[in-house]
Amino acid sequence: MSNPLADMEKPDVIFCIGTNMTEAHPVAATRLKKALARGAKMIVADPRRIRLAEMADLYLPIRVGSDTALLLGMAHVIVREGLADLEFIATRTEGYDELVDHLQEKTPEWAASITGVPAAQIEEAAILYGSSDRAAIYYTLGITEHICGVENVQSLCNLALLTGNFGREGTGVNPMRGQNNIQGAGDSGALPNNYAGFQPVDDAANQAKFEKAYGRRVDLEKGITKVTALEQCGDRIFGMLIDGENTVVSDPDQEHCIHALKSLEHLVVIDIFLTETAELADVVLPAASWAETDGHFVNTERRIQRVRKAVDSPGEARPDWWIIGQIARRMGMSGFDYDSPVPIFNELCALSPIYNGIDWELAESGQYQWPIPYRGHPGTPRLHEGAFINGRGKFSFTDYRDPAETIDEDYPLWLTTGRRLESYHTRTQTGRSEGINDLLPEETLEVHPGDAARYGLREGGWARMSSRRGAVDVRVETTRRSPQGTVFASFSFADVPINVLTGSGYDPITHTAELKVCPVHVEPIAEKAQLAAD
Amino acid sequence: MNATTSDIQTTRTICGYCGVGCSLDLVTRDNRIIAVHPAFDGPANEGALCVKGQFAYDYVHHPDRLSHPLVRDGEGRLRQASWEEALDRAAQGFMDVLQKHGRHAVYGVASGRTPSEANYMMQKFIRVGFGTNYIDNCSRA
Repeated sequence: MSNPLADMEKPDVIFCIGTNMTEAHPVAATRLKKALARGAKMIVADPRRIRLAEMADLYLPIRVGSDTALLLGMAHVIVREGLADLEFIATRTEGYDELVDHLQEKTPEWAASITGVPAAQIEEAAILYGSSDRAAIYYTLGITEHICGVENVQSLCNLALLTGNFGREGTGVNPMRGQNNIQGAGDSGALPNNYAGFQPVDDAANQAKFEKAYGRRVDLEKGITKVTALEQCGDRIFGMLIDGENTVVSDPDQEHCIHALKSLEHLVVIDIFLTETAELADVVLPAASWAETDGHFVNTERRIQRVRKAVDSPGEARPDWWIIGQIARRMGMSGFDYDSPVPIFNELCALSPIYNGIDWELAESGQYQWPIPYRGHPGTPRLHEGAFINGRGKFSFTDYRDPAETIDEDYPLWLTTGRRLESYHTRTQTGRSEGINDLLPEETLEVHPGDAARYGLREGGWARMSSRRGAVDVRVETTRRSPQGTVFASFSFADVPINVLTGSGYDPITHTAELKVCPVHVEPIAEKAQLAAD
Repeated sequence: MNATTSDIQTTRTICGYCGVGCSLDLVTRDNRIIAVHPAFDGPANEGALCVKGQFAYDYVHHPDRLSHPLVRDGEGRLRQASWEEALDRAAQGFMDVLQKHGRHAVYGVASGRTPSEANYMMQKFIRVGFGTNYIDNCSRA
């Protein structure tokens, strides 16, 4: 997030797009509710009439995958109506004149023809967002899990740059991170393009810095993403170490994924349960769980917070850091003689400019949000105050393009996937927590009553849903939450493996899968069949 | 059971579910979690917790938890092994792949669920062990 969580109570106008915050980030949503109670206005763009949509002053029911068109249409209106912040644009941005030219054709009528939202509502949203003093954007995977995820984010940044909504309280462009430490995973250098602290690997100075620290020269070329690695399994990739990810259930195109992992010569999985992924491994190493380990999580507002051990692990389970270090030592690597997580974190801080100002002891307070460039620096709750890190804010000349697959006669419905409040990801944890499992014991397919009638489905009955990659059987829930022509399911339940269907395309830059759009066909069936997973 | 307050301990930590990072106190007795209390001084949550953070902690003590290393035997089945054997097997397998297919044949997938220390170790393992940037985390899917 560009701005701290506390800022969520401060905007005059809130624009939520592609975020089901009341279910996926419930506690953050309470802050938005406080802002609404104070009188803030909220615009929500989402294909589904989610709870956030019910709370909105203006709800834009966009067709799945049409976000860029909506955002370009809004930018057009902001410029046309004279709502652009010309002083901010002159002092802090570049590319405005080209953007104005680029937006010429992106009229609200053009956007309406793609998104299905009436032009008048697109105008209303743009004017509401553009005329407020403090407007904040919040988004989640509904923006990024598309083949155009990068363009979607750039289009959001255009709106904030046009209206000067950066670097002030209650503004910003704020992605809500989905996992407890997905931010920390990137910060720590678990990326193919960056060392720790987002230092690019293709910069020779960084290569030299880490060669000195690690005693080993690392390629100047970027590595490949996990998506590419899975494609190369059995061909160029033959060994894989997976820590704490149920790849088989969480990733798109499940059959391809299982085939890929099975074609490895050596697969080692570190996890707390024998997940569907661990079942494919040659070696499974039992890890300490969240309540059994010391270390740090970094939250969505870049806050570095201490995780503390409260109970012992079952049997011989050990912390992940210890396990990885033991494998490294047995392979003869040097620099892995850690006896606790403390020196590991201190090494990470020393090598990362954004963490240079802290260490294990200072991080105890949980008060620091990175960047913390030097000792004594208070941390940076709000990014881009006064100036952008890399100079001027650049406008992006984005354009709309269709999803990788679009609906046709054979696959006439849009499937979009997501989360539900009561489940977390692939349910390895929430599926094993009694009370919560009772709240949501099985997956259902959200179908609009009109579609149910059209395809002969009935509430509580079974449907077989197929895409170009596979089929799953799922119980039907008729609801107007999903619009006619679009169905919804979560990917949480291994017995309804929705990711058998997905995997039509990937963003070319980030390799993020288009998990939010998948054309499908549905038909009623008498009862659920046992579909083989492989 | 005559539990007294002295048997009960609380440990301040951070919720392990989504990225909001709510502070909470784990209430434990006899090495088991018996409750989760929201932290009113938690900077991200100011005393709030959602249904998962508040109640979905049973999994920590679930009998399905892996408590011993497992290795695949000659018949393709996973069997219990000692740490010595499992770690040797894990290390030897990577050394074999390295020798046979080169250093660009091994890939590391770090977790968005584990602490940063585990992520740092994963990337260091790949970079020091193989001299490549063949490392990613689970943020793309």
